[in-house]
Amino acid sequence: MTIGDVAIRIKDVSHQFGEPGDAQFVRVLQHASLDILRGELVCLIGPSGCGKSTLLNVIGGLIRPSSGTVEVGANLIHGPLPREIAFVFQENALFPWCTIIDNVRLGMVFQGVSKDQHEDRARTSLEAVGLSEFMRYYPEQLSGGMRQRAALARALSLETNILLMDEPFGALDEQTRMILGEDLSVLLARTAKTIVFVTHSLGEAVFLADRVAIFSARPGTIKATIKIDEPHPRKPGFVTTEKFAQLRNQLYGLLHDEIRKGVEFTAVMGPDS
Amino acid sequence: MNGQQEQQERWLSRCLQIGFVLVLLLLWYLGTTYWGISGILLPNPVMVLHDLKEVLGSGEFLPDLEVTLFEVAVAFALSCVSGLALGYLISRSPYLIAVFEPLLSSVYSIPIILFLPLFVLFFGLGPWSKIALGATISFFPIVLNTIAGFRYVDRIFITAARSMGASNAQMFRYVLLPAALPVVLTGLRIGFTIALLAVLGSETIASFAGLGHRIAQLADAMETVRMFAYITFAVAIAAGLNALVSSLERQAKRR
Amino acid sequence: MRLTVIAGLLAFWEAAARWWVDPQFLSPPSRVFLSLPSLFDTQGVPAALGIAFCEFAVGFAISAAIGLAVGLAIGLSRLSRRSFMPIILLLYATPQITVLPLFILYFGIGPASKIAFGVSHGIFPIIVTVVAGVQNIRPILIVAARSMGAKRWQIFRWVIFPHMIPSFFAGLRLGMAGVLLGVLLAELYVSTAGIGYFTQMFTESFDPTKLLGLISVLALMAIAFNVALRRAEIHFARWRQN
Repeated sequence: MTIGDVAIRIKDVSHQFGEPGDAQFVRVLQHASLDILRGELVCLIGPSGCGKSTLLNVIGGLIRPSSGTVEVGANLIHGPLPREIAFVFQENALFPWCTIIDNVRLGMVFQGVSKDQHEDRARTSLEAVGLSEFMRYYPEQLSGGMRQRAALARALSLETNILLMDEPFGALDEQTRMILGEDLSVLLARTAKTIVFVTHSLGEAVFLADRVAIFSARPGTIKATIKIDEPHPRKPGFVTTEKFAQLRNQLYGLLHDEIRKGVEFTAVMGPDS
Repeated sequence: MNGQQEQQERWLSRCLQIGFVLVLLLLWYLGTTYWGISGILLPNPVMVLHDLKEVLGSGEFLPDLEVTLFEVAVAFALSCVSGLALGYLISRSPYLIAVFEPLLSSVYSIPIILFLPLFVLFFGLGPWSKIALGATISFFPIVLNTIAGFRYVDRIFITAARSMGASNAQMFRYVLLPAALPVVLTGLRIGFTIALLAVLGSETIASFAGLGHRIAQLADAMETVRMFAYITFAVAIAAGLNALVSSLERQAKRR
Repeated sequence: MRLTVIAGLLAFWEAAARWWVDPQFLSPPSRVFLSLPSLFDTQGVPAALGIAFCEFAVGFAISAAIGLAVGLAIGLSRLSRRSFMPIILLLYATPQITVLPLFILYFGIGPASKIAFGVSHGIFPIIVTVVAGVQNIRPILIVAARSMGAKRWQIFRWVIFPHMIPSFFAGLRLGMAGVLLGVLLAELYVSTAGIGYFTQMFTESFDPTKLLGLISVLALMAIAFNVALRRAEIHFARWRQN
């Protein structure tokens, strides 16, 4: 799997909620810029409230930034681009009134895929995430980890070039995260997607990413990037290597001060400032 | 509490329950048969049972039942259509919700039966005054529940569908409607129950036909035995209809 | 904004009554409002309203007392809850309107039957909410009290009873609506005296002005009770962020 030219160009994106003077005014992003290459997996990591999820939503066209642009291929992003970009959300966004396979099929209905392809694509993607047996179950009957696999299957079935994942494993326990992370790496090695992955977990970032983009505290900007030069699929053993520890420490060093700043800021100004 | 104690308690409470009801029935029977409670006030339960069988056998209840059912059906149909349509339209805009929801809630909190004389003025003593009242009263739980059902659809579903390119029609059909359905169905069930009560009530007060009217008529004529029979009949019909509607609601909620 | 909508509705009513609808059937709000004094002058109307008000107040008081007593009696023991709640719920669900003529037969056409019918509507929501309030107390609170040496009556007085009060008030609000409904239904049914007499009279003589006037006064009374009770509920339930 080779990494190619620029797939996503984030240029100078700033975003604020509300107007200066409002009670809820908050500037979340400040001149964030990053070029993401085709086939790359980039992790966005940073302190709480630094705007990484906001940036993800901007890339996906769900939010119009206050200033700055995002280009995906030849397109300037100003709305959802379902044929190019698929999402996996942190919250459980599977429709509770549909079975797993119906959830996956529904995604294709929305995207506009022709009906004869639905069944095949759905089955293939569910098999890829290991949920073939559970196709006819309802989301509430499955564990958190399985639900997120299903959400991933739905995103994969849309066969987009770009996958945006917003802390998809955030609500899961550590052990499930580990397993899902390993499976994700295997899965992504097979496809050639460009992936932007928001996470809080340093270990997850180092394990999964080709590059990690580190955010500063709010208002967030991309402070630095670290390259993780390790071939995909990442072996589970990678986590125990010296190289992993070094990279993780490097990440920690860059991040720690920002996290502190974020916490202090919150302590002084209150949680929703 | 362990399994055995639990079973004991369940058995005991069953006994108390049934015992309580049996004692009441026994008192009723004894009172009217032996203790001289006037048959005009409290008829003998055995006589009531006989009379009920007679009424059911002769089909005498049919015209009144027909009128009542007709009134309930039309009233409910009217309030359904208007409640669902208006409820959905209002739920589309936070502005409209903020304006109308509190207004509708407050009107719902006054006993709308008050307006019955006005409806009688408009429509006379015939079925249309009952239908109008029934429709008006049952409109409110339907519209309020419809607003709530569509309004509280979890944002994440809308966002996810949008991100997958859903059109407005697809959004309504595949996301909003199934998400809102449980609450809306509850509203419909409540609306039906209320329409039934409103129709029976207005029949009792001002009508010349229908089950409610019949009971009132029998009371006026002091025919208490038959009145009790009809009361039993009406309560049974109401219970049956409500059970039917509840089970329909449950079935519709099951996928 | 809400006021504008209300004003708009009133304007619509006014226009409809003036120009579109036969005056035999509908009166504009302006005329209704202006004719209120003459409504109160009509012999017997103030008395009827006054009596209805009293019937309601007495009915509400009795409902609250009976509801609380029965609710506590049933709610405090798990056995009695399991035994009797199904019966209460069954009674709550029956269409009591079918027995209205029976109440009138038993209690006559005076205030007693109206109060009785009101009470029979009002007690059920109160019983149900009191039982719920007693039942859903977190067991840990009772365990804690007992661990500090509290006796049974103390637990009731200082733990269970205060815990139940907000539920009680919520039940009172529902109960009040019930009593109001019961009293009004009974009043409307009895057409030989009281409110029912006047509604029938105004209806038969095609006097929508007076009829609307009477209805409006009663509606305002209902709203006033609602607001008053809501205030009381907020005041007494301050510590619960339910």
